[in-house]
Amino acid sequence: MRPELERLHLIEQQLLQGPAALPSSSWRLRQLLDGELAADTLAQQRLYHGLRLAGRQQLRHELRLIHARLYEGRFAWLRRLWPG
Amino acid sequence: MTPSHPAASVLPSDALRQALLADREQALTRLYRRAFPAVRRHICRHGGTAPDAQDVFHDALVVFYEQAVGEKLVLTSSASTYLVGIARNLWHHEQRRRARLPHEALPDDLNELAEDSAAAEPAFAVLDYVARLGEKCRSILLAFYYFQQPLTQIAEAHGYRSVRSATVQKFKCLERLRESVRAVFSSETVDY
Repeated sequence: MRPELERLHLIEQQLLQGPAALPSSSWRLRQLLDGELAADTLAQQRLYHGLRLAGRQQLRHELRLIHARLYEGRFAWLRRLWPG
Repeated sequence: MTPSHPAASVLPSDALRQALLADREQALTRLYRRAFPAVRRHICRHGGTAPDAQDVFHDALVVFYEQAVGEKLVLTSSASTYLVGIARNLWHHEQRRRARLPHEALPDDLNELAEDSAAAEPAFAVLDYVARLGEKCRSILLAFYYFQQPLTQIAEAHGYRSVRSATVQKFKCLERLRESVRAVFSSETVDY
């Protein structure tokens, strides 16, 4: 992968506690040596928060569709009784 | 470790997680059909309306989904009983909130109330940019980071020949999102 993508991967491992996450002492050392790492980590963490909100929106949308299919429309009662 | 039959060793919460990951729509529909009537009955008997029941049930399903795929769900009863329990609890909180603030409407997302508001603000800004991503990137990022689908499944669903290709694409999409929201973040300072 390109170095920029490798950096995203490195930060992701740390934030999501992936198998390649560094021990906290090594991570602190990296932050001391790399002046932009802390800011990049914060920015990436915010992306994940935003993606969580977007995921919840998507899930709610899917739930509204399921509700409509089961409880609205002429044959909804049939779909509730005989799924599939 | 003692050897056991694979089917017998699968815990209900693990089976549920697998079902949600394999076919979310089908698994959620099954849960919906089993649990929603009891939730609606409870809420309508305790001062709520049918739309309240729907909103609260959706909030409960979001909580339930995140616990299940995040492997934080320990089922001691059936999944639908557990789900009804979450919904009853959320409705109880909502009733107390309404008693305190009688003129405010039900919030769109009860979960968002639990977020730290200072931390949530930039996340809401990111939300707009996620919506502007192309369909493919949006789908890959949500599948991985929210729905927690394995990369093998994401690769197959999006037509990638290998997990490696899907992984690279995921990071390219994340990079695209980061670049588009960079202006939002760069206006803030970082505390070391």
